[in-house]
Amino acid sequence: MTVMIKWLSSKLILRREKLLKLQRNLLHLSSAQTDEELYYDVIVVGGGHAGCEAAAASARVGARTLLLTHKIHKIGEMSCNPSFGGIGKGHLIKEIDALDGLCGRICDVSGIQYRMLNRRKGPAVWGPRAQIDRDLYRTNMQQEILNTTNLSVLEGSVEDLVIDELTGEERDVSTDTKCRCTGVVLKDGTKIGSKGVVLTAGTFLRGQINIGLEVRPAGRMGDAPAVGIAQTIEELGFTMGRLKTGTPPRITKKSVRFDKMKSYHGDDPPQPFSFENDQVWIESHDQLTCYTTFTKPGLAEIVRGTLHLNKHVKEEVNGPRYCPSIESKILKFNEEKYLLWLEPEGLDSDLLYLQGFGCTMPEEHQRKAVRMIDGMEQSVIAEPGYGVEYDYMDPRQVAPTLQTYKVLGLYFAGQINGTTGYEEAAAQGLIAGVNAARRVKGLKDFIVSRSEGYIGVLIDDLTTMGTNEPYRMFTSRSEFRMSLRPDNADQRLTIRGYHEGGCVSSQRYHKTTKRLNELQIATDLLKSTSKSVAAWRQLVGMKPAVVEKVLGKSGFEFLADCSYAECSIDPILSLFSELDCIRENYWLSERLKTESLYSVLLPKQQKEISALQSEEHLVIPSTIDYNALSVKMEVREKLAKARPQNIAAATRIPGVTPSALVQLLMHVKKLSREMI
Amino acid sequence: MKTLNFLSKRFLEQCKTVCVNRIVVDYQRFGFHDFKQNDTIFALSSGFGKCGVAVIRVSGDHTKQVIKEITGCKNLPKPRQAFVSKLRHPKTQVMLDRALVMWFSAPNSFTGEDICEFQVHGGPAVIASVLNALSSIKGLRPAAAGDYTKRAFLNNKLDLTEVEGLGDLIHAETEAQRRQALHQMEGSLSVLYKQWSKDLLKCTAHVEAYIDFSEDQGLHNDLLGNVKNEVKELLQKIRKHLLDKHRGEILRSGVRVAIVGEPNVGKSSLLNAIIQRPAAIVSPIAGTTRDVIETSLDIEGYPVLISDTAGLRDSSNAIEQEGIIRAHKKAEQADLVIFMVDGQNLKNDVNLEEFLVQHAFKLGIELSIRAENVVVIVNKTDLISSGLLSELESFKRFPIILLSCETFDGFSGFMNLFTKMVQSLCGVTALGEIPSVTQQRHRDHLTSCIEYLESSLNITEQDIVIAAEYLRMALNEIGKISGKVGAEEILDVIFKDFCIGK
Repeated sequence: MTVMIKWLSSKLILRREKLLKLQRNLLHLSSAQTDEELYYDVIVVGGGHAGCEAAAASARVGARTLLLTHKIHKIGEMSCNPSFGGIGKGHLIKEIDALDGLCGRICDVSGIQYRMLNRRKGPAVWGPRAQIDRDLYRTNMQQEILNTTNLSVLEGSVEDLVIDELTGEERDVSTDTKCRCTGVVLKDGTKIGSKGVVLTAGTFLRGQINIGLEVRPAGRMGDAPAVGIAQTIEELGFTMGRLKTGTPPRITKKSVRFDKMKSYHGDDPPQPFSFENDQVWIESHDQLTCYTTFTKPGLAEIVRGTLHLNKHVKEEVNGPRYCPSIESKILKFNEEKYLLWLEPEGLDSDLLYLQGFGCTMPEEHQRKAVRMIDGMEQSVIAEPGYGVEYDYMDPRQVAPTLQTYKVLGLYFAGQINGTTGYEEAAAQGLIAGVNAARRVKGLKDFIVSRSEGYIGVLIDDLTTMGTNEPYRMFTSRSEFRMSLRPDNADQRLTIRGYHEGGCVSSQRYHKTTKRLNELQIATDLLKSTSKSVAAWRQLVGMKPAVVEKVLGKSGFEFLADCSYAECSIDPILSLFSELDCIRENYWLSERLKTESLYSVLLPKQQKEISALQSEEHLVIPSTIDYNALSVKMEVREKLAKARPQNIAAATRIPGVTPSALVQLLMHVKKLSREMI
Repeated sequence: MKTLNFLSKRFLEQCKTVCVNRIVVDYQRFGFHDFKQNDTIFALSSGFGKCGVAVIRVSGDHTKQVIKEITGCKNLPKPRQAFVSKLRHPKTQVMLDRALVMWFSAPNSFTGEDICEFQVHGGPAVIASVLNALSSIKGLRPAAAGDYTKRAFLNNKLDLTEVEGLGDLIHAETEAQRRQALHQMEGSLSVLYKQWSKDLLKCTAHVEAYIDFSEDQGLHNDLLGNVKNEVKELLQKIRKHLLDKHRGEILRSGVRVAIVGEPNVGKSSLLNAIIQRPAAIVSPIAGTTRDVIETSLDIEGYPVLISDTAGLRDSSNAIEQEGIIRAHKKAEQADLVIFMVDGQNLKNDVNLEEFLVQHAFKLGIELSIRAENVVVIVNKTDLISSGLLSELESFKRFPIILLSCETFDGFSGFMNLFTKMVQSLCGVTALGEIPSVTQQRHRDHLTSCIEYLESSLNITEQDIVIAAEYLRMALNEIGKISGKVGAEEILDVIFKDFCIGK
């Protein structure tokens, strides 16, 4: 029937106990196989970054989960840039980790250079980022996935979904719900039943690759696209769109002269992504180097001269603003030179990733183009850059749980919802996986609000406003940036994830509670200790201030001064023996400083957050009929399309008038009354 | 539901009050019980424009304190009982109006919070002064559109059968808001605010770009320095705007008008003509008026304080000298000066402008003849030759009023001009009235905006995130006047202004 997980990479070095666990997984699978009909609680289709998180999260919640993928050895493949994290994206990884997701932990054992971006700016926008060894990441991810309890993996190509009629009760859930999904059909005709299906098709839905004038169907270089499933989705009546993205050429390391470039080294000490880790796997001095360089003026000529040979760029009218190809940049901005990054592809790899040079011109011209770069006059392309085009779903068709409105039990997560980036995909995967599993178990939805995390911002933006270009996370998308920091993701999400999501292990939960408790004790203690600023300054070894604005400060308040001055707070912590645990943990003491830094404005932000949350409590029933509102047609259409879950979401939809909101408020009230 | 459309707004107002008696629904059931608004809000609840009675409503926790502070009563009156009281500005103790005051205690009120209604006289100046007094009380803020309804809803006060009826009511309310917004949209003020919003959006976007992209993208070098300069510039503009002409203050205290000129040019006659009663003694003897005669009057709903002054001349009479000193003082303090000359002193082919300048100089008044707040009146046109009259009539360099207080020739023309000038001093432009209430609201938002901008400048060096936060808050304040600005707009500017891409 299908290839079982007999494939085990020789690179996979499993320790004995893990191997045993793996055998249990296998056993579990084969017992299912002997059943008359294959059945799982949740099936996750796709083994990319969304798929991995979805499958693992679903399994963590306790649902019997199956991960279906084209090729098991491609699970966890990084198809584009060899890095994870960054500004905004790093926040997402921290939050995924806080919910016990995988990518943070995998990054901590696969990175080859760890660097905190925005170090010179406020810690609220620090961007943890790492260059990742592709092979290591894949290997580690596969090891993780293949060793997860409740999770089985199967190699196969999904051609179709099993669609059933709604049961009586389900019909009342929403007026938009037409049917339910009860499994998948593989290429060979095998049916696998389930209560939930999470579709994480990435760029594979009718994917095509563009280089020059050449177009070939592919999900990514070397992999076939998914056509059958795309058709199924279309037939179900989903609104689809088409998006474009691209990837730059890979350069042979030996052909580059680094002496002409600026080099960037990893941090010492490198900060781990995961709250579970105190350090990363690599030694600080073993980290690899990245380089920046600039394009030369002659490049514009090549780009303009090959436009007639460049199908992708010609059609790239509303291309991605966030990672435009070098062609688009030149055509749009016409600057003298453009900044490029050269990033290592792996510890032993001979390849460099030329970030900022995504291009789709014919290969022979790419070869000339990459030589129009400082230090790359002799450079050699190992793999050319190419453009990708693929189908995506208007994400307003999914609820904040990422379940589709149309088909009960069907979830979309990742690039299929119009996002770009591994982190954005992983975040959605986690939420879809948790909710699919919770639905099977009859548990309450688990939704992260935009006041709780970037995950919430991401999903709320997508599901209420939709997108017509690949959506990427930035810190400027969050209105609560000072509260949603990388350092406090555990505080925001781990406890909730444990109690309300069911996706956090009790081990992590207890560790987190202990950590938060320590921080709380330290905060309280320092808040209750006041000294003159001069005394504090002397204590930490700062020079006396020329003009003292404030005479006395609590220890907690003074931490902000230490943060600005970048000095150690150990002398302050040493005042109390209770704070030894914090003094011994560099990350915790840094975190305390950050808390203090933003404590001035946090009460104001907290007020805004409560205002938002109270509006979020005003849930708009999914049965609402917008035609019943006496508001302008266009407003009605906007509401019907966005299907805001609550009044807060409705206020964010562009073009929705205050009068419409008041009407909506009253309607909500009336409906909820009728239901009682 | 439809019938309500035909009913007057006043009646609909009463409907709101009737709702006070409606059922208090089980709070717990909808899970809104934990919802608590902190601020106390106030707003003019009746329509805009001149009307007999205007209703100003205050809702929230501070209501009781507001009643005490503004009426000066020591013990709170019984709820739901109307009483008449003087209203005073809590800070200055200046009397604002006599008003009918009634309050409703929570939860038995329209919003479910403590509410007080002040029924004041309907002139824009009175309304503005009361709103201004309210905004001076800590913890109070002007209500935003739909605030009352929202609170009523959140406190479970809006309910079933009322829903339909109130639907129309709120429609009326938002319709008025819409009309009003439209009204302002056409004004130059809105263009100004829009521009500021745009400027500030750009500043915010550039700081955001610096945060999100400066690390791995080549951005312009002195991005933050430029933003700082632009913020400083904007700050100056807003500060200047807020100080501009003190329109609010003028409206609050009345437009001060002084009639000045030589003795016996007809100043007292003009005063009597304007107020339509013989307030000042009029005689052919020069120097009849020795003290300042001050009278307040209502010009098209705007308060005017008009002063007739002693004629200016060299006098040896001590009483007259004092009168002249006072006249000079009045002229200096006045928002509007009426400069009167006797037409008989003019000769054919006179250079009128030069004559007026020299005449003013001779009388020792500092006056710019062409200034916006000066009206030149040539009186006694009944006594000058028709040749001179037609010569004066063709004078076009700046508006002058040709008048005879004897025959009232030209008087209506004078009143028209006078009214227009009074209105313009109170903030009425040719494009229509800029409602004083929203002006107060604008002032509040702009003041907060200034505060946030200043904070952002102070903090830039230390933590860019906090500086950006202040900029966003400032943008939000302007947004409350000219329309909300969301994250997407910020991103639009970022991607328009910078070449960003991986």
